[in-house]
Amino acid sequence: MSQSFPFPRRGPVRLTFGIGLVVLALFGLVPAVGVLVVSFTDLRGLPYLPVNWVGIQNYLDFFSPAKWSDSANALSNTIVFAFFSTIFQIALALGIAILLNKPLRGRNFYRAVVFMPTVLGVTVTGLVFSLLFNVSGGPATSVLSWFGGESAFFGDPKIALALVIVAQIWMVLGVSVVIFLSGLQAIPEELHEAANIDGASGWQRFRFLTIPMLAPSITANVLLGIVNALQSYQLTYVLTGPNNHSTQVLSLLVYVQGFGGKSGTTLSQSQGYAASISMVQFVLVGAVSLIALWFLRRREAKL
Amino acid sequence: MSAPTLTRRDAAASTTPAPRRRKKLRIGAYLLIALILLVFLFPLAYLLNTALKSNAEFIADPVGIVRDPQWANFLDAWNQGNFGSYILNSVLYTGVGAAIGTFIALVMAFPVSRGYIRGGKWWSILFVVVLFLPNALITQFQLLYRLSLYDNRLGYILMVGVGVGIGPLLFSGFVKSIPVELDEAAALDGVGYWRYLFSFVFPLAKPALATIFILQAVWIWNEIILATVLLADPSKFPVTVGLYAFKGTYSNQWPLLAAATFIVAAPLIIGYIFIQRYLVSGVIGAVKG
Repeated sequence: MSQSFPFPRRGPVRLTFGIGLVVLALFGLVPAVGVLVVSFTDLRGLPYLPVNWVGIQNYLDFFSPAKWSDSANALSNTIVFAFFSTIFQIALALGIAILLNKPLRGRNFYRAVVFMPTVLGVTVTGLVFSLLFNVSGGPATSVLSWFGGESAFFGDPKIALALVIVAQIWMVLGVSVVIFLSGLQAIPEELHEAANIDGASGWQRFRFLTIPMLAPSITANVLLGIVNALQSYQLTYVLTGPNNHSTQVLSLLVYVQGFGGKSGTTLSQSQGYAASISMVQFVLVGAVSLIALWFLRRREAKL
Repeated sequence: MSAPTLTRRDAAASTTPAPRRRKKLRIGAYLLIALILLVFLFPLAYLLNTALKSNAEFIADPVGIVRDPQWANFLDAWNQGNFGSYILNSVLYTGVGAAIGTFIALVMAFPVSRGYIRGGKWWSILFVVVLFLPNALITQFQLLYRLSLYDNRLGYILMVGVGVGIGPLLFSGFVKSIPVELDEAAALDGVGYWRYLFSFVFPLAKPALATIFILQAVWIWNEIILATVLLADPSKFPVTVGLYAFKGTYSNQWPLLAAATFIVAAPLIIGYIFIQRYLVSGVIGAVKG
């Protein structure tokens, strides 16, 4: 409020700001806070049924032996998915970004190609990967058969999650590459020249120059990657459906409990229970991002 | 006299092995690039290849290069899948939704960043909070249901429109690059706040607003679960849900399914060629901001 207000009347500022705030609050913030409230009730999908307060019963249910197999499965799928997709995404993106930062002919084209899947989106990516790993005869089946192997791919509970991770990395890699490229371009050329004159090897330059200078981009990438991966479910939904046990992540459990009604282990859908899963996921995302942030900041300081 | 010759010879000695090494490195780099292009372009090429096959050819030889291209597959997929109306829906939701989000970013972030609204710091925190909201599928459905906006185009548009994500934060960073003196000068000349915001700030901020718009548009264009939950009438489905439903119906006819996927992918690829520059630099800007 240090700045003075130059315009004659404050009314217009307040009016447009107010319109924006009301729309954002009503459709963005009310549902978000509502999830917390609803998670303490037995709200159902069908309208006009009485809604009762049940306290922390939904949370107790989530960790109860009857539901624990579903809950634990979704929790572990979410964490495995987020961990591996983020790690590989960061490592591959860093390598590709360093490569695409070199003065190669046509590098803008290569960058555009790497970023393209982000635009194609979940449904197209999902269908393309379903086609590639199609059991009735696709490139993946052919390649495997050269080595005398065969697989049900997305139908095989042991590797379905791994394949979803591969598709996810393919789809989101470009964003990480672009973030790393912006970090790489901020490193002054003189530093590389100085390192060259000092006789630093390629690996030494990478380890002691590129990595420390890239630390903020790495932090941004890891954080964005983890938060996105912990919440993403769209690709899993397209590739394996909402009810596939081997790939069911927390967000999909929310969807199935709230709207799917075919979870197999629960008798009736309860939106109150689904809301409590949302809150568990919210706490998980918050905790993991804070830990990641703390860890990465500490590393940044050390480098 | 001797010192310069020495250094020159020194430099020459140290660079003699370099060209060969550099050449080797360069070949290695292009090989890696070829591998990357293969990984990213092969799936699309394979999709097109499948889309052009007849069912019989696909069953006989699913992997081989197409021998007898069936261009009619695209026509069949288009007619059977009703993709015209899905794509129109998606364009409507994406265009209006992202416009609402961009408008919110403009009218909220500008006064907050300038300190023209009381409680400036708290509003900035709000801009960060909207990035970390919980998954609110349940309550989004309940809210629209209670407002009689369930299975309603406007309801869905409002829901995706408020998914502003990083927009307000990004824009409040950008506003700092517009000098405050411009506000004062315009006000002195008798320009009102709205005219200033929409005919002075708006043109100046076009690149930033375009980035905000595109980032949100990509998200809305890809939305599938919210649309599944909030819309019931197939004539209102966006293309993501429409294509997914098409997959459910024709899951054993890969050539037709591939043709449908290609129909959806083609406008994206063409559009991407045009906005690619904004998009890639937009993500860079978002990270720096």
